[in-house]
Amino acid sequence: MEKVYMALAAALAVGLSAVATAWAQSKIGAAGAGTLAEKPELSATIIILVAIPETMVILGFVVAITILTL
Amino acid sequence: MIARMAKIEIIGPNELLMAVLALLRELGVFQIEQDITCFIGEGEEEEKVRSALLDEKALAERIFYEDLRGRIDELFSCLPKAEIRASYLDPSNLLDSIIATVQRHGVTCREWCRKKESLQKELVDLSGYAVILGAVEPILCTLSPKSGIDFIGVTIRDPAALEEVMRLLTSLTEGKFEILTVKAADGTLIGLITLEKELAEKVRKTLDEQRVPELTFPAAFAPLPFPEKIRYLRTRMNEVTAELDAIDGELTRFAQRWGAIYARVRSWLDERLALYKNMAYLHQTGMCFFIHGWTPEAEVTRLDEAVTVKFRGEVVVEKKQVLEQDLDLVPVALRNPPYFRPFELFARLLPLPRYASLDPTPFIAICFPLFFGMILGDAGYGVILLGLALVLGRVFRKRDTVRDMAKILLISSCYTILFGIFYGEFFGDAGARLLGLEEALIVERREAIVPMLFFALSVGLAHILLGLVLGFVTALKRKTGREALYKLATIVVILCLLALFLSYQEIFPRLLAKPLTLALLFLIPVLFYAGGVLAPLELLKTIGNIVSYARIMAIGLASVLLARVANRFAGMTGNLAVGMLLAVLFHAINIALGVFSPTIHALRLHYVEFYSKFMTPGGRKFEPMHKD
Repeated sequence: MEKVYMALAAALAVGLSAVATAWAQSKIGAAGAGTLAEKPELSATIIILVAIPETMVILGFVVAITILTL
Repeated sequence: MIARMAKIEIIGPNELLMAVLALLRELGVFQIEQDITCFIGEGEEEEKVRSALLDEKALAERIFYEDLRGRIDELFSCLPKAEIRASYLDPSNLLDSIIATVQRHGVTCREWCRKKESLQKELVDLSGYAVILGAVEPILCTLSPKSGIDFIGVTIRDPAALEEVMRLLTSLTEGKFEILTVKAADGTLIGLITLEKELAEKVRKTLDEQRVPELTFPAAFAPLPFPEKIRYLRTRMNEVTAELDAIDGELTRFAQRWGAIYARVRSWLDERLALYKNMAYLHQTGMCFFIHGWTPEAEVTRLDEAVTVKFRGEVVVEKKQVLEQDLDLVPVALRNPPYFRPFELFARLLPLPRYASLDPTPFIAICFPLFFGMILGDAGYGVILLGLALVLGRVFRKRDTVRDMAKILLISSCYTILFGIFYGEFFGDAGARLLGLEEALIVERREAIVPMLFFALSVGLAHILLGLVLGFVTALKRKTGREALYKLATIVVILCLLALFLSYQEIFPRLLAKPLTLALLFLIPVLFYAGGVLAPLELLKTIGNIVSYARIMAIGLASVLLARVANRFAGMTGNLAVGMLLAVLFHAINIALGVFSPTIHALRLHYVEFYSKFMTPGGRKFEPMHKD
């Protein structure tokens, strides 16, 4: 039973942080697309900005690994 | 590295001003400073120094040049975009002739252009009529002139009204008609009604009453019967095409004959006008001019020698001391060794660092390919990317940006091959099985998740500490003591936290835990003092930055699993050809992802995590005057 809880916790750690990342990226992506229409030269900055929220899912992934292995 | 810049003041007699500007443009190493507050001190007599103004002669000259430039531009707007040979004539001796000819040529070319436009319009109109007449031509050919058949052309603006017209025609002709429709370019329908001659007049009248306009032809062939119209249309279209070809020929011949001369004059005028534009940023007294600006330290001698030789000591180049308050004004030029230079592309994506800051290019040049290799880490993919980089570099050797990207890809692919050998990956696990790469294996990424996680975090720790050390050095250089203390305290706190973690893991002796905790307690007030009340939050952010490097492992793991999936899918088909095809397809997708994802994340680790520790953005790009 304990293993089931651990798996569930790990899944939640990755899943919830992935949802949060997706939500943040959707907002940044929409704003970024608007920005690019006016200033195409900012494309590199926008790509980086879209990649920033991925930290959340990476941290979730680290937490999941910690739950499952340590 | 950020090139050392020299603060330069050039002084000479007013009459040599234009000649000095022309020389500076030719040398291409001097940027004029518009803000002269850092050049003229408080004690100096500022009221005697004023902005350089054009005298009456210079002003007239500038207006003349601008007018001539406008006329030549107008002339070129009429000419076809043909390749123009180079001309080596000296325009300054030709100006009188040019001003006379440009007017005459302008009239001729404008007339050609006007005629060309009119003929093009006529051709478009004729093409429209050709569509409808072409459609009825087969019917007309089968009819004799005495067949008692007549034609009415109509324009139906709303396609939905076609049925209404047909109902009307049925009632008028008792169904003895045929209608042929063609859609015009603007969406309206052009209809040709075929009916008996004796009914034609009645139908025309009724259609007119019902506001269905009859198709009108140009006056030139409106009175002609339909078969004659077609013949006329064809003949006229051939004539118009021939006339257009003749005009194009004339324009091309003109461009070949005169284009080179006018292009040379235009370029000369551009240079002269650019000098006049620069004059707004210069200063002068009643007798002499001052040009203030910046040049790279390495170019000062060349600049000085060129000015001395050309003006025989009449113009003086003086190097002034760069003061602390000037630092924010100094323009930034990046000068890096050839290996680092392509990576300036990444540095330029963000605002430039300030002059007193550090150029991040060497660090990104070393760490970016390393991170890229760590993430992708597949020898097979590396070989493909290496080939791609070589092809790109060769095909686009004249395009600077693509060439730089190819060089970056070349270096990154070498690291990918190296890490691929370390991880024992060649197109996923295919290499390990087929090529016996497992003998060279250091770590199996798919299995060793936790060791890879610690490896990625260690890389992050080293990178962030390097950033903090650079921040400490930059703060010392800028003489901001408190910031330097804050960076130093952060470094020590992170090292203490690391040692504390290792002592709890019993890698370091447990006895160290107590003194380390005491040291941390001592450092917290220092952090508050140096970094303000938000210092603990900043410390947490820095620790978060280190954990963010876990992406090196996470994205790498995703990449290796995708490659494995590609091989598994290919194996499951049970057919060699289909399996190969699937494997190629999946690996191609994985390579595309494998280039995009590591690039974005390696860049992000630099831009967000690393740069924020030491770089002060907001530098002004060094843009010297130069010949186009």
